[in-house]
Amino acid sequence: MKLDIERVRADFPILLRQIHDKPLIFLDSAASSQKPLPVLQAMEAAYRQCYANVHRGVYTLSEEATCSYEAARDKVASFINARAREEVIFTRNTTEAINLVAYTWGRANIGPGDRILLTEMEHHSNIVPWQVLAQERGAELVYLPVTDDGRLQMDRLDDLLDERVKLVAVTMMSNVLGTITPVREIVRRAHAIGAVVLVDGAQGVPHLPVDVQDIGCDFLAFSGHKMCGPSGIGVLYGREALLEGMPPFLGGGDMIRRVELHRSTWNDLPWKFEAGTPAIVEGIGLGAAVDYLEGLGMEAVAAHERETVAYALERLAALPGMRILGPPAEARGGVVAFTFRDIHPHDLAHLLDLEGIAVRAGHHCAQPLHKRLGLVATTRASFYLYNTPQEADRLAEALEKAARILGKAG
Amino acid sequence: MDDLYREHILDHYAHPRNRGRLEAPDIIADADDPSCGDQVHIEIALDPEGRIAQVAFEGEGCIVSMASASIFTEHIKGKSLEELASLTEEEVLAMLDAPVGSNRRRCALTPLTALRAGLRTYPKNPSSDG
Repeated sequence: MKLDIERVRADFPILLRQIHDKPLIFLDSAASSQKPLPVLQAMEAAYRQCYANVHRGVYTLSEEATCSYEAARDKVASFINARAREEVIFTRNTTEAINLVAYTWGRANIGPGDRILLTEMEHHSNIVPWQVLAQERGAELVYLPVTDDGRLQMDRLDDLLDERVKLVAVTMMSNVLGTITPVREIVRRAHAIGAVVLVDGAQGVPHLPVDVQDIGCDFLAFSGHKMCGPSGIGVLYGREALLEGMPPFLGGGDMIRRVELHRSTWNDLPWKFEAGTPAIVEGIGLGAAVDYLEGLGMEAVAAHERETVAYALERLAALPGMRILGPPAEARGGVVAFTFRDIHPHDLAHLLDLEGIAVRAGHHCAQPLHKRLGLVATTRASFYLYNTPQEADRLAEALEKAARILGKAG
Repeated sequence: MDDLYREHILDHYAHPRNRGRLEAPDIIADADDPSCGDQVHIEIALDPEGRIAQVAFEGEGCIVSMASASIFTEHIKGKSLEELASLTEEEVLAMLDAPVGSNRRRCALTPLTALRAGLRTYPKNPSSDG
């Protein structure tokens, strides 16, 4: 089913805003997406009508809050097709989910001489936790290279996958190149040598239909705020057997079964990894975001983005001096990073903002990838379910205008 | 309407003043911002009274940081080290004579960041690696 784009846009009140007297064109959803009314309403209703701490009270409000919060977990589990709700751990965001794995599974399973295989297109959040772990454990990081057009060099994978590799951590979709990676194939080959696979779904889960059983990954990390939900809530999916075997992450309330003065025992999954009062209303908001996306259908969301991005790529590529990073439309998601003439990304983003267009300028938390591509910074326009081909036209026109304004400088 | 990219800003970017290096600098000042790649390198030679006799800069970056470096080097000529040390961020922004919003302050202040780093190491011999 095709997205009814006008109805979708009407669900996002922020899209009515004017920026510098121009209608907002929001092209930074890869950093954080906007929120639809059902999410805002669910969160407001939670605060207004059924707010209390969860998992403890016997009184009605606490029971209602617990039910709503735990229902969100069921929704997330079904959204990614987890086998069981116990496999869905709520975290703050993708970064915390990856750190959770590094600090618990990693410390217990990675030793001197072991290798962790990453790719050159990873976000800093899927590099730095492994650097910390590798330094602490005497392990080594190795990287699957990217091609000049921004794909993974899959023909190098088997060479790199030797018996020293204990973990493979790979993004599902590059936040700079937009490249959708063959995670299913990577998982298959990594499992063949006995490695565990963590998939960074921060960009993938908001934009693509995701089935963890089909992908076969051991862990999947993603954030609520990039998928129409609130900030402060994210997800770590983990295979139950692995989660059961892992020591806890943070210690405190809720994650324990019994506490004595000198020792404690741990709560069951998933709460073993959720110490302290969680982001209750944010969790409920994430549940509403999942309902919203499922109501539209992730196939329809992905198809809309493919169409919009294909148009945007064609439109932008026609501008003289445009260099678009990453593969052609059929191999990418909603992210389009580029350099334009010799204009510095900060200047470009500034001039686009004057036209009401929000894009990101910088290294997008992927410095090693930029270095690989011989760049320091790029401008990134990222499209989501509420963006239109007309907005891509406006972007192209604004870029031409920026070139005219700065032409005086050249 | 924001008009940061005024004629004189674009002119300083296209035709930077004091661009280059000095024969014998007394102070070498560097700043870089890995998040956007802006780099400013300033060299200063003092006269016998300890005032800025010559100044030159090199760098790479956005229009705001490069124009700011050009304007900054024009303004600091003839000043004493004490005057340099007491330069405030607001004074540097005022030199630009263009509206710098909070989102571009860091770009505009890159030359001041460099200068302050350079003054911290003075009067040790300047390193020559640039």
